[in-house]
Amino acid sequence: MLPLIAINALVVLGPSLLAVYYSFTDWNGIGTAKWIGLHNYIELAGDAEFRNALWHNILWTIFFLVVPMAMGLFGAYALTRIRRFRLLFRVAYFLPYIVASVITAAIWENLLSPDVGIGEVLHLNFLGSQTLALPTVAFVNNWAWWGFLVVVFLAAMQGVNPNLYEAAALDGAGPFRQFWSITLPSIQPTFMFLGLMTIIWSFLSFDYVYVLTQGGPAGATDVLSTLLYREAFASLRAGYASAVGMVMALISGVVVAAYLVIRKRKDWAV
Amino acid sequence: MTISRRNFLVLSGATALTPVLASCGGGSGSGGGLQYWSAFQNQQQQDYFKKERVDAFQGSAKVRLTVKPTDTIDRLTQTALAAGTGPDLVLTAGPAQVAAYADAGYLLPLEKYSQKYGWDSMLAPWALAASRVDGKLVCLPGGYETMIMIYNPATLEQHGWKVPTNRSEFEAICTEAKAKGLMPVASGNADWRPASEWWVTFALNHSAGPDAVYSALQGRTRWSDPVFADAINLLNGYYQQGWWGGSVDSYFTNTFPNLYTALASGKAVFMITGSWATSEILPYFGAAAGNDATWDWAPLFPLRDGVPAEVWDLGIGATLSVNAKSANPDAAAEYLNFLESDPKRQAQGIAEASLQPAPIQLSAADFPESVDERLVRLYTRLSNAATIGYTTWTFWPQQTDTDLYTNFDKVITGQLSTKDYLDGLDKVFQSELAAKKVPPAPAPSGPAK
Repeated sequence: MLPLIAINALVVLGPSLLAVYYSFTDWNGIGTAKWIGLHNYIELAGDAEFRNALWHNILWTIFFLVVPMAMGLFGAYALTRIRRFRLLFRVAYFLPYIVASVITAAIWENLLSPDVGIGEVLHLNFLGSQTLALPTVAFVNNWAWWGFLVVVFLAAMQGVNPNLYEAAALDGAGPFRQFWSITLPSIQPTFMFLGLMTIIWSFLSFDYVYVLTQGGPAGATDVLSTLLYREAFASLRAGYASAVGMVMALISGVVVAAYLVIRKRKDWAV
Repeated sequence: MTISRRNFLVLSGATALTPVLASCGGGSGSGGGLQYWSAFQNQQQQDYFKKERVDAFQGSAKVRLTVKPTDTIDRLTQTALAAGTGPDLVLTAGPAQVAAYADAGYLLPLEKYSQKYGWDSMLAPWALAASRVDGKLVCLPGGYETMIMIYNPATLEQHGWKVPTNRSEFEAICTEAKAKGLMPVASGNADWRPASEWWVTFALNHSAGPDAVYSALQGRTRWSDPVFADAINLLNGYYQQGWWGGSVDSYFTNTFPNLYTALASGKAVFMITGSWATSEILPYFGAAAGNDATWDWAPLFPLRDGVPAEVWDLGIGATLSVNAKSANPDAAAEYLNFLESDPKRQAQGIAEASLQPAPIQLSAADFPESVDERLVRLYTRLSNAATIGYTTWTFWPQQTDTDLYTNFDKVITGQLSTKDYLDGLDKVFQSELAAKKVPPAPAPSGPAK
């Protein structure tokens, strides 16, 4: 354990504590930092760009809690109902997840192009429009993401006692009723855990947004991580960026704490 | 020999950490010779630099070139300097970054080397002025650039247009071009969001004028002044008419390759860009692209009466400094002098690898015979510029610059009024001015040489 603890202290705990410290300074990322107390947090409270990015993160989280989770549940349940080609579909669903996000984003950027892609056919500029850009980036991210949920939900569903389905079928329950009354309650810990991780990952989301739009057009897809990146490396305001990071960590911390309370009360193993 | 469980764990930890810590080390002075980290646009440029600027150096120490990725070299250098190591020669993205490094004590003052090698008389005064922090010379410009207008002569000829020399001529062509379904100005920021500042630079220097910009950079005029509001309103109007990139939505998704292609094919008329584009466009014109398209350039024109006919917006694309922790600062300065001096070497770099030259006086005689005549014309006129303008990425402090291009996108999408945009910009600028973060700027008039 000691080597792991040492490495963790060096690359995780140390930088984390430093980030807390720097969030109370005017550090530019270079040289010494000057303590400015809560100034960064006070500025954050009145920063329209921060509010805009936070709102986009909230929309992003809602989208990923609803759309891919629903698709993942449906896809997994559908796979439990078939016997042939199950492995083929699992691989097909999972494949986009293992492709590097930069490649997936670049492919979709070309596919959606308003000059030579789907955008040209539909006369829509998906990534240039203020209203379409955020849903488009979320769609591309989801394309790569939902297959992962299928595989995890499928694994959980395969652990459900098959006798329950047989009994339900004898009682006349159809597929939807079986899903609602047997499958969902049986996989509730997995469902809740993925919901928790979805919230955390949604607030950390960066790669697809950065590759496809860099937070643009005009801030239409800015999220907290792109704002943090811009403040740290473009504006050279590492102290302020650390404060943004602290807010992100706080949100994740609250979500994890809530999950742990529920988990203890419900006595879940996951 | 036996080993206790406790000692085993401690040794295991040390073994695990060794490569981690080792990877943090190295840098200045290690391994002998001078360490130099650089990044290049392409392999041809890298090979040329290695041969003509590294291997050809016959100074008191051997130079060891390490090539870093273009998009991460700044952060790698910053991390290494913060760790007390890094290369002997420190490459930065511009004066704003230099100021931060100098404040942190990472850079060696270069005054004694300036006297030794005569940099005061060799380099353009504006470039030397921009290389000082708190009055101390801490860097030299690694290369300089300017804003120009690139066009396809065949496109102008086909439609009976001439290169515009003033606002009314420019607007007349843009109006006609738009009516014909052409893109008047090939522009977009999909590949590089900060590109918006290129056109803000154009508007500020050629509408408000370099005197007004200089005055504001000195803190004597506010950015909320009507002269700047007029400039931003004018530029925003161009966007709203679809002259910049076709439409506001298209502007955000136009990529540079598509824009260069449009210029070569005659679907776009002008491109207002930096001198770096003279190398980037080459694959899209002529034999390299399988077409017979050609390109040429012209200086930018005034957008308001009273602004000089020719204003050369100068920018420093990269700077070079000597690491304060260098084990061999004299050799590092000697190599710095090698990179900056000799007009023929600078001209050869332009001709053979499209390298940005150091800001020294260049004449046509300095260029090799094989050089592209358009580049000779550009750099000889530039080095004799009578009036200079100010590129925002060189002379604006870092946070103001970031707000300048980030929020300008909100002006063209209607989220922000020109007044709110400039008020916000001025607020940030005044705070950075008070914190002495504004890079020094030379006066606009007089020879730049």
